[in-house]
Amino acid sequence: MKKIVLALATLGIALTSGAYAQNAKTLRLGTEGAYPPFNFTDKNGKLQGFDIEIGDALCAEMKRKCDWVTQDWDGIIPALKAKKFDAIIASMSINEKRKKEVDFSDRYYFTPGMMVARKGSGYKQSDLKGKAVGVQLETTHSQFMEARYKDVNLKQYKTQEEANLDLANGRLDLVMADSAVIDDWIKANGGSAKFERVGDFVRDPILGNGAGIAVRKGDKDLVAAFNKALTAIKANGTYTKINNKYFDFDIR
Amino acid sequence: MIDLQGFGPQLLEGVLMTLRLAAVSLFLGIIIGLAAAIAKMSSIRWLARGVDILTNLLRGLPELLTILILYYGVQNLFNAIFEDFVEVDGFTAGVAALSLVFGSYASETFRGAFLAIPIGQIEAAKSFGMSPFTVFRRIQLPQMWRYALPGLGNLWLVLIKDTSLVSVVGLQELMRKTQIATSVTKSPFTFYSVAALIFIAITVVSTLFLRWIEKKSRRGVRMG
Repeated sequence: MKKIVLALATLGIALTSGAYAQNAKTLRLGTEGAYPPFNFTDKNGKLQGFDIEIGDALCAEMKRKCDWVTQDWDGIIPALKAKKFDAIIASMSINEKRKKEVDFSDRYYFTPGMMVARKGSGYKQSDLKGKAVGVQLETTHSQFMEARYKDVNLKQYKTQEEANLDLANGRLDLVMADSAVIDDWIKANGGSAKFERVGDFVRDPILGNGAGIAVRKGDKDLVAAFNKALTAIKANGTYTKINNKYFDFDIR
Repeated sequence: MIDLQGFGPQLLEGVLMTLRLAAVSLFLGIIIGLAAAIAKMSSIRWLARGVDILTNLLRGLPELLTILILYYGVQNLFNAIFEDFVEVDGFTAGVAALSLVFGSYASETFRGAFLAIPIGQIEAAKSFGMSPFTVFRRIQLPQMWRYALPGLGNLWLVLIKDTSLVSVVGLQELMRKTQIATSVTKSPFTFYSVAALIFIAITVVSTLFLRWIEKKSRRGVRMG
């Protein structure tokens, strides 16, 4: 019996030892850390990318200390709600479905969606019946395909990289993704000699109106602070500097 | 360490996290398993039944679900209870889930091992006037390991691979580091292969160690 009590006590300690109170002053920002060029982890284990630099610039503008927390994409909204962090800056597109879950700041960039196939496929956006299409789970691109293309064979992946891999090896006919992200991948994997865009860039209400910073519902002060800082960095040229570092086109 | 497009040190960090996670879970898991096995064999009915139900529950749930419940569920519970934010971090949630699952499986291994000890030895010990605790400490516990080791070795190998599930709560273990390296370098197979080799290496070393310790535990004993 003594041993059981001891074991239960040990378990109790184990459950709570990692639990500690957080400093309320520091703003914690959640991101995925595996979505280049917007947010990724470099070889030194440091977070890099457009989202990260924008986030840092906003914190500097707000004169607040910020810590970054990485989190797998499909658990990022639950983690925000469970207060693992206070805001998500992870290229999250603003759309109606997500607005039921979280509040958004103004958009901090906009890039359209894009469908990609292997070179010479000759696919048309108007006729994709039965095609195997890959998307990342829990993305607006996934929501878009589910709603607008009910007759395709939709495959959802945990990461964008896994979908891309299946496009390259032939298991998928197309990938539907953010144009900037998929463009970055195509350039690293043979470029336009191997892959082609299917039809025009995709703009749709489901894809949303650009990426915003997500906060817990009702966190109005934080949204206001982010919006004010965003306006400021757009006005003082910081935004343009970061934009030009990552893209040769304006994504404002 | 090979450079691996600069991600070598990152992967090494991931390996260390995987091993830390597995080692801590093994330690706590053995304690939980032993306690649960003893509880299951106890003559206190409600205790035996209660623990039996709990371990069956934990063995019935997918490990991933257990991890998610402990990470998000317990966090929401804490948020409801405490006014200040008390964080359940990924490591704690991961270790708690893995050691509870390991303990549940191990409790059956331990129970089987205790039952494998000839009843005659226990009767003999009692007739020498040993108290039940002394019987446990001197007769049952030392011999039980010999029967439990092969089963525990199996569970350890499963545990190592289960650590990769903890990446869902943002813990930077080997699989998550591999995925990050893959997304940045765009060369998945290099990194998948390296991760596979690392897991195999850990398994081989573990198997060799287990073989050695099993042999050691059988010194002077003939087993059928």
